[in-house]
Amino acid sequence: MRYTELYDLCCRYHKKSVRIKQHDGRVHVGTITRVSRDKVWIMPSSGYGGFGLGFFGGGFGIGIALGAIAGIALTSAFFW
Amino acid sequence: MNGGFQIKGNYLDLLAYFGIGGAHPGGLDLTKTVLDAENILSSDHVLDLGCGTGQTSAYLARQYNCHVTAIDNHPIMLEKSNHRFQLEQLPVRVINGNAEKLAFQDDSFDYVFSESVVIFTDITKTLNELSRVLRKDGKLILIEMIAEQTLTEELISDVCELYGIKKILNEDEWKISLQDAGFNQIEILKQQSAELINTEIQDLNQSKDIRLEFYDLWDQHHQLIHQYRKLLSYRVFRCLRS
Repeated sequence: MRYTELYDLCCRYHKKSVRIKQHDGRVHVGTITRVSRDKVWIMPSSGYGGFGLGFFGGGFGIGIALGAIAGIALTSAFFW
Repeated sequence: MNGGFQIKGNYLDLLAYFGIGGAHPGGLDLTKTVLDAENILSSDHVLDLGCGTGQTSAYLARQYNCHVTAIDNHPIMLEKSNHRFQLEQLPVRVINGNAEKLAFQDDSFDYVFSESVVIFTDITKTLNELSRVLRKDGKLILIEMIAEQTLTEELISDVCELYGIKKILNEDEWKISLQDAGFNQIEILKQQSAELINTEIQDLNQSKDIRLEFYDLWDQHHQLIHQYRKLLSYRVFRCLRS
């Protein structure tokens, strides 16, 4: 997926809960808090990895380089 | 909707590329509730029609140790379900097949499960085939989309176009279709809610480089569900082959 497409997608899912898979296989689950041209930040879902909000200092959460992202999807949906 | 739901990608491709397990109303929770209410024996032959990424078949094989046959016609679904069964070392037979023309002999199965699949096929042909491959008194359990009330032509056209389906039946029309195909003792299984509520997607095997049009299609689907949530719903049908 192209950089600009990933950027658009992250903007589209701003404030939504997503699952982001990196090229190295690591998976992050949380809510998108901020998007820049080359990075997206997510606040991990509560209990994820055992870190409380304090760990992130109430900021934007974890920053992930768009270039590291292999896939992104919403974590909740209805399907037929 | 004035053609507001025009799409390029196909809905079943979307499910295949995202590799979403339990992509049917109620998700895996409903599947487990329905299956666990049955008395499935290890000697039973069970068909999972339209197995998708194989979540239900894997549960059947693990939980009941029965003879599971999983069938789908989508190459990516077949690849992902095969991958799952190999990973979990489950002896599930996977078949690339057509629901409307099954390559099984008559009376082959004790149970057929199908979760939001028949609606995507020629309903009459598929139900006739399911009736043929089930043994007498064999059980068919379906989770399917229904119309809760009379739908406008416009809505029907939007829904059919978006999902690539031909018609939307109401509860009675499903019952009549089942009867016509040779099923009796048709019952609707009670569920807590038949509302179109989201389920958590915990089982995901996403393909690489999914085209943006499939994200658009997901949004269109989401928009349609939101808009028509009072008019469309689903039921769990359980019946016996006469």
